Amino acid sequence: MRARRRVVTLRETRPAAPRRPTIARRTASAPASGVERVPIAGPPVIRADTPVDLSIELGRGLVLPNPVLVASGTFGYGVEYGEVVEVERLGGICCKGTTLRPRIGNVTPRVTETPGGMLNSIGLQNPGVDAVVDRYTATWAGWRVPVIVNVAGESVSDYVEVVSRLDGVPGVAGIELNISCPNVGKGGMQFAIDADAAGSVTAAVRRMTDLPLLVKLSPNVADVRPIARAIADAGADALTAVNTLSGIAVAPSRTRPLLGNVYGGVSGPAIKPIALRVVYEVAQVVDIPIVGIGGVTELADVLDFLAVGAVAVQVGTAIFADPTLPVRLVDELTGACRARGLDSHRPLIGTALPRRTGASSAKGAEYRP
Amino acid sequence: MRLLGAELVESREILPGQFIQALHAPHLATGSRAGQFVHVRTGDLSGLVLRRPFSINTADPSSGTVTVHFRTVGRGTEWLTRLRPGDPVDVLGPLGRPFEVDARSRHLLLIAGGLGIAGVRMLVDEAIRDGRQVTLLFGAASARDVYPSSLLPDEVEYVVATDDGSLGHGGYVTELVPQYEAWADQGFACGPAPMLAALSRLAATRRQRLGVAKLGRKRGAGRPDQPGSAAARRKAFLQVSMEQNMGCAVGACLGCVVMGASGTPLRVCREGPVFAAEELDWEAGW
Ligand SMILES: Cc1cc2nc3c(=O)[nH]c(=O)nc-3n(C[C@H](O)[C@H](O)[C@H](O)COP(=O)(O)O)c2cc1C
Ligand code: FES
Repeated sequence: MRARRRVVTLRETRPAAPRRPTIARRTASAPASGVERVPIAGPPVIRADTPVDLSIELGRGLVLPNPVLVASGTFGYGVEYGEVVEVERLGGICCKGTTLRPRIGNVTPRVTETPGGMLNSIGLQNPGVDAVVDRYTATWAGWRVPVIVNVAGESVSDYVEVVSRLDGVPGVAGIELNISCPNVGKGGMQFAIDADAAGSVTAAVRRMTDLPLLVKLSPNVADVRPIARAIADAGADALTAVNTLSGIAVAPSRTRPLLGNVYGGVSGPAIKPIALRVVYEVAQVVDIPIVGIGGVTELADVLDFLAVGAVAVQVGTAIFADPTLPVRLVDELTGACRARGLDSHRPLIGTALPRRTGASSAKGAEYRP
Repeated sequence: MRLLGAELVESREILPGQFIQALHAPHLATGSRAGQFVHVRTGDLSGLVLRRPFSINTADPSSGTVTVHFRTVGRGTEWLTRLRPGDPVDVLGPLGRPFEVDARSRHLLLIAGGLGIAGVRMLVDEAIRDGRQVTLLFGAASARDVYPSSLLPDEVEYVVATDDGSLGHGGYVTELVPQYEAWADQGFACGPAPMLAALSRLAATRRQRLGVAKLGRKRGAGRPDQPGSAAARRKAFLQVSMEQNMGCAVGACLGCVVMGASGTPLRVCREGPVFAAEELDWEAGW
């Protein structure tokens, strides 16, 4: 066995974060609704300089220094924004989707703005896993921010091979499986829309590696819960949700679709309600940590994702307009915890979930007008 | 590259639907070169989620201002036209790689199609400052869209072509190029993709057609230069400034690529926006 690098929590003074996030239950004194959940029983006892511990464990020793990550495909390999962003203050970096062989990606145009968001069809352009290991992992190994490599493939063996080349490489803190890719072995049907395929690719990668394993859910499914369960049962350490929603735009000439690839993925504030719904549903059927993604642009969005059961969030599209947003959200979340008299953000997790997780999920969650 | 809190100094509609805006941003005014661009935030995140890229049109270090030149094409540019002097503008820049003029080049031929003028405008100033002779060929649909000569320095020779013949040469601006090819030491172009493709075909056959020697013995000889390297551009007869839809503008999202001659997509925001014409695959269609 090769020695594996572990990311160690920055705050040795505190006991390690619990493997499973504790879901805060409503108490009799807490308000039943509303976004502000300041405890009313007694004044906050936390002083302005009291440290707030935002660290969170995603499993297998992957401890994020804080719960604000940057989303795959929107932050390159962590180096592109240079001095504009203090990368070392991020909770984690998910790098661009990485495949076995280099990919040149889709024809242009690849991006366009849409109401409250954008469409992209990059087509997984990347230099291939070997080049990623060569060019970037040495830099990552020198950072205290964990870098999670987003992995894509066209077959189970592709995924396993890519992960095997990342396994044990210093600088690689974890794997995020992008399963929103066509499965060549199954007639091009995406892994992410089929519980069996999602489960088997997760299981195969799990057998290959002891690296922390995150699997990214697609929102383009009728019911995400059986898929999430299959992935959790197959041994994933955490789930990330969601990837982009399938969409198209029309060229100004109205003679063809705008994107070179016709189809693209919608991201940004427009998809936040959908992402929240997915996290809300998944949180009630799995007990591994969930990282919420989709339209985070301000602190309120972070708090919303935490409330529906996410232990952390990823910021994607919003970085393009405001590259300093993720780091600012870390500071704002610290402030929000202090204002509520909390020394960690963990009590904010799951506060909007139904009281008895699991059993009560039939009401409301099923209702789709 | 920095995130800058700039301030709108002036906004002028120079042609119907075309604006030149001056921004107070000393870091850009002193630290940018012709061909580079800025990524400007428009509106709030919930509505307009992407910044808008603009070539740096002119830079004036003494007043600490730069200008951008754009046409109102959508909600982002319309939002910009509603700004008033004194309003803050969030600018990321300077970005991308500039034009590279060979030290030995005396005669520069600049070719602009429509708003492409914004891509080469600053090079006019740089070249004249450096004592070079500049001819600017400008093409537009009709006289109505012709960039006002009053906005150009006196030293530049300004030649206009209009598609409908309402001003200057009647036809495409590329038809003017053969008259200047022998005179020019280097060419610099910005404009619609078909125009740039036509120019790159002209540039590729220029030496054979004119029988002219390359500048210097080593030019073009030996190993090809890295795509995006300053040397690759400096040695080229034709440099082009490319446009593409952008997300991040810093090289992170791969939204803005054009196909490189070697079969690898190149990022307009990072390896470009200025490329040597031979660095790109003009047949690929993207
Ligand atoms: C330009 C772009 C490229 C992306 N590339 C990837 C990718 O390679 N792999 C992946 O799993 N997700 C990718 N995504 C999806 C994002 O990681 C994220 O899931 C999605 O954008 C929703 O978050 P947001 O609304 O904050 O952007 C990409 C998104 C964008 C906008
Ligand atoms: S715009 Fe993102 S890589 Fe160029």
